[in-house]
Amino acid sequence: MTQGSRLCFAVAVLMCAFVSINGVGLNDLLERASQLSDKLHSLSTSLTNDLDSHFPPVGRVMMPRPSMCHTSSLQVPNDKDQALKVPEDELLSLARSLLLAWSDPLALLSSEASSLAHPERNTIDSKTKELQENINSLGAGLEHVFNKMDSTSDNLSSLPFYTNSLGQDKTSRLVNFHFLLSCFRRDSHKIDSFLKVLRCRAAKKRPEMC
Amino acid sequence: MRNSGAMLILTFIAILTLQAAGVSPPGKPRLTSCRSPEKETFTCWWEPGGDGGLPTTYALYYHLENSETVYECPDYRTAGENSCFFNKNDTSLWVNYNITVVASNALGKNISDPVEVDVVYIVQPNTPEHVTAVVVHDEQGPFVRVSWEKPRTADTRSGWITLLYQLRVKQEKDKEWEEYNAGMQKYYNVFSLHPDKEYMVQVRCKPDHGFWSEWTQTTYVKMPDYITRERSLWIMITIFFVFIVLILTWTLNVKRNSVKLCLLPAVPGPKIKGFDKQLLKSGKSEEVFNTLVIQGFPPTTDYDNLLVEYLEVYDNEEQELVLDGKDLSEDCMKSKSPSDIDSGRGSCDSRTLLLEKCMDGREGSGSNQHQYSQHGETRWASTESSESQGPEPGSPESANGRGKTWPVVFSSPKPQPHHHYPVGAAKPAYHSVPEILNHLSPHAMPSNYHQLNHQDIPQQEHRFSKPACRHSQSYNQFNLDGVDTPAPGVPPSPSLEYVEVQRVNPENMLLLRPLSDPNREPEGSDCTREDYSKVKEVTSNNILLLQRAMSHQCVDDYSQADQCTTQQPPHPCKPAVHQSNSGMPQEAIRVMGNGYVDSTVLMPSY
Repeated sequence: MTQGSRLCFAVAVLMCAFVSINGVGLNDLLERASQLSDKLHSLSTSLTNDLDSHFPPVGRVMMPRPSMCHTSSLQVPNDKDQALKVPEDELLSLARSLLLAWSDPLALLSSEASSLAHPERNTIDSKTKELQENINSLGAGLEHVFNKMDSTSDNLSSLPFYTNSLGQDKTSRLVNFHFLLSCFRRDSHKIDSFLKVLRCRAAKKRPEMC
Repeated sequence: MRNSGAMLILTFIAILTLQAAGVSPPGKPRLTSCRSPEKETFTCWWEPGGDGGLPTTYALYYHLENSETVYECPDYRTAGENSCFFNKNDTSLWVNYNITVVASNALGKNISDPVEVDVVYIVQPNTPEHVTAVVVHDEQGPFVRVSWEKPRTADTRSGWITLLYQLRVKQEKDKEWEEYNAGMQKYYNVFSLHPDKEYMVQVRCKPDHGFWSEWTQTTYVKMPDYITRERSLWIMITIFFVFIVLILTWTLNVKRNSVKLCLLPAVPGPKIKGFDKQLLKSGKSEEVFNTLVIQGFPPTTDYDNLLVEYLEVYDNEEQELVLDGKDLSEDCMKSKSPSDIDSGRGSCDSRTLLLEKCMDGREGSGSNQHQYSQHGETRWASTESSESQGPEPGSPESANGRGKTWPVVFSSPKPQPHHHYPVGAAKPAYHSVPEILNHLSPHAMPSNYHQLNHQDIPQQEHRFSKPACRHSQSYNQFNLDGVDTPAPGVPPSPSLEYVEVQRVNPENMLLLRPLSDPNREPEGSDCTREDYSKVKEVTSNNILLLQRAMSHQCVDDYSQADQCTTQQPPHPCKPAVHQSNSGMPQEAIRVMGNGYVDSTVLMPSY
C-alpha cells in the first residue's frame, strides 16, 4: 500500500466512526454506567458486611423499618414483568432520581463515618468516601446518557433528605448509619438493575453481551 | 358437674400417661435458606425441630415490610419437603419478607424465628447447561475449547439478570482444580494442556450480585498426543549449540598453541648477561654478582684524561687574593675585562677547554706553572687546566723531548700535592670565569700546549667534575712546526684559553691544541663557528682585523692581537703570528687568544 492509499483508508475509517458514533456512543456510555453502578452496589454490600461484623444486637431491635427510607416514596417496578414494560427514558429517569436522592445523605454518612463507634471505622470511612466519588461520576455519566437519548421530558423526582444528623449518642448514630446504608444498598441495586436493562435494550449490535 | 370434673381428671391422667410415653409438642423449626434462581421466584426451606412424637404440620407465614397482612405459603410442594415456593405473582423485589414457620402437632405448636429476606439479595442461578469440550487443532498446537449454555431459567437476554461464568479443569489424578474466569461469554479456550492426557471440566455461574451456582456435571476430554512446536524448537536449538560448541572446542584444541600465544603473550623474562639463576637459587650471591661485574668498568685509566669538561668557576675574592701575589698574571688579568662571552656556560657548552693559563712551553712556564697550579688549587676553573710542572710523571711526551710543552689541564696529583684543589677552598663562582679569562693574555698563542694527564683524573674525585662531553672534547695539538717560533717566546701568562683535544695518543694522553692554533686541522670544530668572528689582525692602532673567511682559512689566517705587546710589556706575549693581512675590515675589537672577540678590551686597561 502506498502512502496515499493508506491515508485515504485511515480517513475513511475515521469518517465511518464519526458517522456511527451516536449508537456506539450510547452503548459504551451505558456499558460504563453499568460498570459504575455495579461497583456502587458492591461497595455498599461490603460496607454493610463490615458494619454487621460488630453490630450490637440491641441495634437490630432499634433499627427503623426499611419503609422509613427517604426514597421509599418513589414508585419503582417490583418485578421483572413490570420492569421490562417500563420505557427506557422512564427507567433512566428513575435511576437518575434515585442517584440524585443519595448525594446529600452520602455526604452525611461520609462525615459521620470517621467518628463511628465501630472497630472498623477506618475501612468504613474510606469506603464511604469512595462511594461518594462513584456517585458523582455515575451522575455525570447518566447526564450524558440522558443527553444522548434525546428524551422529551426530564421528569426527575425529587426525594429530599431532611435529616442532618445521625443522632446524639453513639449507639443511635451507629444504628442510623446502618439504616441509611441499608437504604442505599437497596437503591443502588435498583439503579444497577435498571441500567443493565437499559444496556441490553440499547445493545442490539452485541447480543452476545445480553 | 361431676362429669366435667371427671373428664378433666381423665384428660390430665391421659396427658401424664402420654408424656410418660414420650410425646411432646413439636420442636422449633428453623428456616435454613431462601433462594431465588432468576430474580423472579424464590424458595425457602426450613428444617423441623422435632416432631415430638406426633405428626406435626408446618406452616409458613410471611408478611411484607410495609403491611401487616400475613400470608401463608402458597406452595408447599413444588420445591419439595419442608419448603415453600413463591411464584412470580407472590414475589416482589426490593421488599423485605418477614417469614416464619410454625410447626404444630396435636400437643401444640412451635414458631420459628422470623427471617427478613429481600429477594434480590438471595439470587443463586441454576447451573449452566450443555457443557462441551472439544479439542481444536491449531498450528501452534492443539487446545481445548469448552462451551456451554446459560441456565434455562435465567433471563440474560433482557438484561434482567447478568451472569458470570467460571470453569475448572483438572486431570483425574490431580488434587487441585485449575480455575478460569470466562466473564459473560459462554465459551473458553484452555491451553497448555498436556498431550495424551484426559481432563475433567466443570462450569458454574454467578449473577452480578449473588451466589455461585453449583458445578455442572463433569465433562471429560482427552488431549491428543503431540510434540509441541516449542519443545521441538528448543531441541533443535540445543543440538545446534552443542554442535557449535564442539566445533569451537575442536578448533581451539587444534590451535591451542596460537591461542595460548594470543591470550597469554610471552613476557620476556629478565636476562642479565652473565646472570645465572641457578646460582641465585643456590644462595651464593657473591658468585652471582661477581659475574655481573665487568672488568674494567668504570674505566679508570683509559678515560680519565678525557674528562676534560669540568666547569670550575672561581670566586672573585679569592681570585683577587691569589692574584695579588702573582706577578705573572697580574697584567694579563688586568688587561682582561670581566666580561666574558662564555660566562656561565658549562663546560659541556663550550667546545673547547678553557685553560687556566695561556702558556706556551714548559720551559718558561715552569715556575709559572707552579704558580698557576697554585692558582688552580684555589680556583675552580672551567677546565681542569692546571699548570703542569715540567714533564709530567706519566707523560712520556715531555720526556720525549719533542719539544712539546704540555701544560697539564688536570693537575697531576701525585707529585704535586698542591695540585689538588682543596674542595672547600674555592667556591664555584661562575662569575669568575671572566676573571679567568682575564688571565688569558692576548698572547695566548697557539703555543699554549696543554696536556691532559689521564692519570690525573681519578685523583680529582673531589673536584667538581662533569663527565666529559664527547662533542666538546677539545684537543690541543701541539704542532711542532708552530712550536718553535712561538714556543720560546711564549710567556707563561696565566691566561685561560680554550683548547681542543685533537687526539689521544697511545700513551693515553690527550693532545690538546688551543683554539687559536693556526695550525689547527680543518676538522676542528672551531672552524664552523660562524657566529663568532675571528680576529685576523690587530693593527698598531689596536684595531682588530676580523676575518670572515671560514674553514681552511681559519688555520692559516688566524691572527692574534698582540695586545700584550702594547700593554703588558712584562708579559712577553707570544710572538705574534703575523698572519696574512688579507685586508679584512678593521674593527676596533680586541680578540683574545682563543679567537673569541672581546670588545671590552677597548676599555682603558685597568
